[in-house]
Amino acid sequence: MDCHSDSEDSLELGDGTEVSVSISEEHWKKNVHAGEIGCTDCHTAISDYPHPDVEAKDLRDYQINRAETCKRCHYAHFTRVADSIHYKQFEEGNRNAPTCVDCHGAHDIAVPGEPRMAVDERCAQCHAEISDAYRRSVHGKALLESNNPDVPVCTDCHGSHQIKDPRNADFHAASYQICAKCHSDADRMERYGLNPDVVDTYLDDFHGASNALYAEGLGRPDKKLATCTSCHGIHDIPSFKEADKSVVRARVLKTCRECHEEVPDGFQDAWLSHYPPTLSEAPLVWLVKWFYRVVIPLIMLGLVLHILMHLWRFRFRRPGGHR
Amino acid sequence: MKGVKLSRDRDGRLCVERFPLWRRVEHIAVILTFTTLVLTGFPQKFYDASWAETLLSLFGGLDDARTIHRVAGIVFAVLTALHLAVIVLGAITKRIRMSLVPTPQDLRDAWQNLRFYFGLRESQPKMPKFDYRQKFEYIGMVMGSLIMVLTGAILLWPVETGGIIGGEALAASRIAHSNEAVLALLVLVVWHVYSAVLAPDVFPLDKSMFNGKMTVEELKHRHTLEYERLFPAGDPEVELAEVDGEAKADGAEGAASEAPAAKPEEGEPKTPAV
Repeated sequence: MDCHSDSEDSLELGDGTEVSVSISEEHWKKNVHAGEIGCTDCHTAISDYPHPDVEAKDLRDYQINRAETCKRCHYAHFTRVADSIHYKQFEEGNRNAPTCVDCHGAHDIAVPGEPRMAVDERCAQCHAEISDAYRRSVHGKALLESNNPDVPVCTDCHGSHQIKDPRNADFHAASYQICAKCHSDADRMERYGLNPDVVDTYLDDFHGASNALYAEGLGRPDKKLATCTSCHGIHDIPSFKEADKSVVRARVLKTCRECHEEVPDGFQDAWLSHYPPTLSEAPLVWLVKWFYRVVIPLIMLGLVLHILMHLWRFRFRRPGGHR
Repeated sequence: MKGVKLSRDRDGRLCVERFPLWRRVEHIAVILTFTTLVLTGFPQKFYDASWAETLLSLFGGLDDARTIHRVAGIVFAVLTALHLAVIVLGAITKRIRMSLVPTPQDLRDAWQNLRFYFGLRESQPKMPKFDYRQKFEYIGMVMGSLIMVLTGAILLWPVETGGIIGGEALAASRIAHSNEAVLALLVLVVWHVYSAVLAPDVFPLDKSMFNGKMTVEELKHRHTLEYERLFPAGDPEVELAEVDGEAKADGAEGAASEAPAAKPEEGEPKTPAV
């Protein structure tokens, strides 16, 4: 630290780049590791002076190699990263795929996810467009405007280390479970006056039941499967709380037509707005539902009683005549 | 003795034909399609049950199970249509006796039978060829099949039918299809299996829907009115001997067990025998 604070020295890497070796004490103190580990715990090649030459070809090479250092303590995180889409990109030759220090920093490693908006900022370094869409969404706005602790940031849906490719069918089929984490949580939904049955009503419908079964691994749909994001969008999810009914229904119909091109107007009425049927909103569905709710138990009760009486008569009161 | 095929079983007991061959074939076809439909349909209804996964993977996953369900559904629809066509044709040509159509007498029979169960009556009321319980199940089966076929077709072609019946009716069809299936399966498992397999008077199995025969003795006890209709003189053996004698006099071949039917009964809607 004595040498490197405010040092004007620099280091020449394999490709000739000069890198400053200066590090301020203030900067280092921001590091969660400060006071816990020392310089040589990470810079393991250095044990005395003069330091051995740095073997990195260039700066990126040096940064990538730091992962080996982090791995020594954070092995579990390292293995999770090895399963991620980012690591896959790296293996395919993309040296810009993020490595530890790109997200966590080097000498100023902070507690991850604090503040939560910092997560978005980090991902935005590469995924700027998605970040912009997110900031327009009901979730992003709430985070920006009131630092709302309930709305998701990038990592809540995508994970942090083991980030999967969100473009494949498996991710698509399982994505409703991500939404369900919050939107089936009655307490959390109550705070915002939101309907906690949205996921259950989706699952009870044709697309939802199919989705649930595909998510269990019972085959792979050859067509695009209608799921939460099909109607609500992905990163730019708007609020429908105050939305006009006809606008919502028009949006649903538009979504239907993405797969079922020929559907007639009115087709969207097959969708019951994520609510169980009511007499005023969907009288026909309500009637059919209650008809069976009453008729099935009544018929079955009658039949079982008839059977029991038959058995009883047969067993105990067998008449003298014919059986 | 009018219009019934007679035969003898292995013990030499005289039997009447209760179900012609094609009715028995129809029954087996219904067993096969119904079972297939239940096995591929119920896991879709109870998608979050653990057995749903097991069952669907037996059929090769959701998509294959759905294809099988739809094919079986179409076969079932054809069976239903044929069944109804036979009734309609039979009614027009008057070659069918509407022995499964409920009548006010069935209500009286039900009432008297309940009185018998409660010990308020010494004997069971005399039942026709199909008693009120069998008629109830048969009519239920036909109505249920119509609902299943209709709503099934709507769900199979939602885009085409949605334009005619509207979106809300699509949602209602889905609820109806799924609930009617539960009702049908429950009635089948509880009522039909009891009356055709487990009931003390038929246990271990009422075979009449498989071999088509019922002994005259059993007919006399369980479907007395039908017995009296077939054998108005009261003694089938004597009547049989007469017919047999006539047949022999005509030079016809055949054993006594193959008595010719004056007018074969056709087109009697199937029902499981109790």
